[in-house]
Amino acid sequence: MREASASGALERLAERAGEEFSNLQAARNLAAADQPKLEKRLERLEHDPGSSVVLFGSWARRELTEHSDDDWLILVEGEPRDDVSPSIEEVTTILGRDERKPGEQEVFGIHAFCDDIAEKVGLDRDDNTNLTHRVLLMLESVPFTGHDAHRRCWERILDGYLKEVRRDERPPRFFLNDVVRYWRTICVDFVGKQREADEKWGIRNAKLRASRKVLFAGGLLPILQCFRFNRDGMREFLVDQLTAPATDRLAYAFLEWEVFDPGARFFDAYDRWIGLLNDEEIRTELKAVTPENADESAAFREVQRIGRDLERGLLALLFDTDLEPISRQYGIF
Amino acid sequence: MTDHRGDWPRLVSEALEVSSFAVELSALSERELPSLIDFLADGTWLPFRYISVHAPSKGMSLPEPDLTRLLAELPAWIDAIVVHPDVIEDPENYVKLGRRLTIENMDRRKEDGCDAEQLRPYFEALPEAGLCFDIAHAASIDSTMSGGAEILDSFTSRLRHVHLSSLDGESHHVPLTRKDTDRFSPLLDRCRDVPWILEAPPPHA
Repeated sequence: MREASASGALERLAERAGEEFSNLQAARNLAAADQPKLEKRLERLEHDPGSSVVLFGSWARRELTEHSDDDWLILVEGEPRDDVSPSIEEVTTILGRDERKPGEQEVFGIHAFCDDIAEKVGLDRDDNTNLTHRVLLMLESVPFTGHDAHRRCWERILDGYLKEVRRDERPPRFFLNDVVRYWRTICVDFVGKQREADEKWGIRNAKLRASRKVLFAGGLLPILQCFRFNRDGMREFLVDQLTAPATDRLAYAFLEWEVFDPGARFFDAYDRWIGLLNDEEIRTELKAVTPENADESAAFREVQRIGRDLERGLLALLFDTDLEPISRQYGIF
Repeated sequence: MTDHRGDWPRLVSEALEVSSFAVELSALSERELPSLIDFLADGTWLPFRYISVHAPSKGMSLPEPDLTRLLAELPAWIDAIVVHPDVIEDPENYVKLGRRLTIENMDRRKEDGCDAEQLRPYFEALPEAGLCFDIAHAASIDSTMSGGAEILDSFTSRLRHVHLSSLDGESHHVPLTRKDTDRFSPLLDRCRDVPWILEAPPPHA
């Protein structure tokens, strides 16, 4: 029987596997508890029509820990312009304070305009920042204010991807290529940063193996599964999937393609990762890891193990189920 | 491969002819352990994606704290260290193996560690330990495979890898038979994401 909705799929998988995934659950509870407090404060700021304060990363994945960054943008409908409310300074008094500063300040903590994000696709005009905004907006964004503005921009981008779909029952290749392009870009940029003697090599490497892999897979799987739908059904399916956290989308796929045991092991590994992120000593150790001393770090070895466990689960899902022909046909070229 | 016990380069070379994905280096007898430790320490590059070491289960003479210290000092790139539960005297000695510790379910010749209920106390005492699911051992305990299913139901999140073979009348590992292929398939289907270690040559080899 086809799984009804992505929302709640992690709980359904946990129940089926007899597992709790307690770190993930705690992270979801923390996000649910803290979001309304920040929303209330942000709503007091003056907002231009069509503006929205949007959170990304752990907030959107519902994987919030005490140490998570506030990766935020002020998303604004229309063309780029000055003097938009709320201002960056105003939002900065509420988000990203102390240790919660956005991870990549050149990408987050700024105004971003929907016309750019939705229309500047491909070619030189679509720089790393624009690509990042677009793909993260689709795959892991949650509005704290201006929900309607966020949704309109989100649907505009989605419809832009789906406009290029020419045939029913094929994954939307334009969307797929943009998501794959983003994933490969962050992998290449990781090495670019490494060559610049990156001080955060250990934690960046760890996130690439875990959170970012889940983000990518959480986009890849819904897109590949579109082969089961006509164009209208595809839109409905993607709206359901992409408005749920990435972990729910992946749990949905493990349930839908009946790989319950690999799914349980995948989420056991991811749950361990969330547990590590919540441990200050481990975070400190990971921050000190360099390519030279990585083998000596027990925390980094555990991250490597988690990364491999995640990869095995995903490979089983993609290549050892009835998804295999689609993964093979669309996953490489 | 039993003919070449202790000749680690040759054993690795033979394993590579089957697959470069996963390998288990078995020091089943304690006297094989020193040469394996030396082999692993000499820096030889092993191309496998997953490397397991089977800890001694025979010819045991070292005090358990000394044996587990040697196992804990195996290179960090060893993914799993397989231990038979029936040789565990004090689980506390094995805590230092961390997540690399992998407990294998036993066959009908053993009195402990054979089914889910017997394995449970070990996992309770060693919460980081993983499971090495020996499907032929499970079949020797319950030929209907319900016992094997119960092991997976109980510890599926802990599963690290599978031992795959058939057993002969004396419980020796032999190549997988057609009958066992059919009998094992539903459970192997649940293990498709983890490495499978062949405990006997594949039928075509």
